[in-house]
Amino acid sequence: MAQSGSFLQFSGHHYLRHRLVLSVLSGKAVKIDKIRPDDKNPGLRDYEISFLRLLERVTNGTVIEISVTGTAILVKPGIIAGGSVSHDCPLSRSIGYFLEPIVMLAPFAKRPLNLTLKGITTDDKDLSADIIRTVTLPHLEFFGISDGLELRIKRRGSSPLGGGEVQFLCPIVKQVKTLNFVDPGKIKRIRGIAHAVRVSPQFSNRMIEASRSVLNRYIPDIYLYSDVYKGEDSGKSPGYALTLLAESTTSALHCAEAVSQAGVAPEDIALDAARGLLREVQRGGCVDQKHQTLVLLLMVLGSEDVGRCRMAEPTERTIQFLRDVKATFGTSFKIVPVDPLSEGPTQLLYSCYGTGYVNTNRSLA
Amino acid sequence: LSSRRTKRKDWTKLIYSSNLSPGQVLRDDTTSSSGIDVDEDEDDFFTVKKSGADADAETLDMTKVPVPADELQKWEDEELLDSIRHLFITGVNNDQD
Repeated sequence: MAQSGSFLQFSGHHYLRHRLVLSVLSGKAVKIDKIRPDDKNPGLRDYEISFLRLLERVTNGTVIEISVTGTAILVKPGIIAGGSVSHDCPLSRSIGYFLEPIVMLAPFAKRPLNLTLKGITTDDKDLSADIIRTVTLPHLEFFGISDGLELRIKRRGSSPLGGGEVQFLCPIVKQVKTLNFVDPGKIKRIRGIAHAVRVSPQFSNRMIEASRSVLNRYIPDIYLYSDVYKGEDSGKSPGYALTLLAESTTSALHCAEAVSQAGVAPEDIALDAARGLLREVQRGGCVDQKHQTLVLLLMVLGSEDVGRCRMAEPTERTIQFLRDVKATFGTSFKIVPVDPLSEGPTQLLYSCYGTGYVNTNRSLA
Repeated sequence: LSSRRTKRKDWTKLIYSSNLSPGQVLRDDTTSSSGIDVDEDEDDFFTVKKSGADADAETLDMTKVPVPADELQKWEDEELLDSIRHLFITGVNNDQD
């Protein structure tokens, strides 16, 4: 399925994951050079190599060449195979780092993916297992990817020693639906998950109390759940976190999360999460900023029709992602302000013509 | 200061037909001044090269955008807390007027 003669060329270690995802989806080989050439410790990091290994396992026939110094790679993608895969994530990054790009690929696999990942389930850099379960996966449902889609958090693992385990089940689709999501609606409910492992279980309740003090003023429909994991299932390191999500009348989701830090009281962590959520709600739009790239990617892959989505301003990642999408698929988005005269944060309407991407891996089965 | 300018930003043009880095696009920084600071007081044969234009070279590829502490701090303000009431179903709809 790989189109010969065309390959993508990128420089730098930034945005490695989404560039590899674009390469695999488009079937175009990708060359990435200048990966930390001037660093004291040049080349790929352990977690990046680990991600390449995972990519190799999830696909079939992928050829990865890494230069001697590790500062350049060439990836010739194979087909997305899916099936049963298990992977140990290094402790330098959490499971989210590995799962975020896999979520983008899995719906287009040959067989439904059943992926087990072990490592850190929640940290302050990547989407936590809770966010992926409660926010990322519902975003796939907008595109018609729903039956059998599940993330099970079997064990929790906090930084630095991890010990967590999640299982990701993803169905396959032939084609994704065109998105037309322009009404952000109004927030009708707030949900939350507090967890505390290897520390006093009271920490969960303290976080819940504190975040309620900020959120109760808006709506009564707030349900914050204290998720208890005991013994072996609570991982190897102590830690706690609060994940909050706000759902609107049109199913728009916004989320925020705060993770335990040394010397900070659970109440303050909870306030950070609650305020982060309010900030996200204020930014508005139909998709929160952490999920812009996922939604934009699936819009590009949509059927040959105009997809539209209302979002806040793009993040830096999103801007680069849009450029890389153009380099890969040739698709550019039209981005216009929704209401140029309105007060408050800018709302933009992103629209593009879908490429009509068909999951050819599936038809081989 | 950028609130008025952001509204006039032509995002499509900035993203697809400019050479600005993503950070510059967001900051509306058309006069990209790359402050290259070279410390010359070292006589070592090997020097660690500092890429001035790309000072964020070791920024991690992370999805969670760190929120500055003062961005969160300002939510202690009652007025700001009330200003987003209209975004909730229980709030009065002040979009209409």
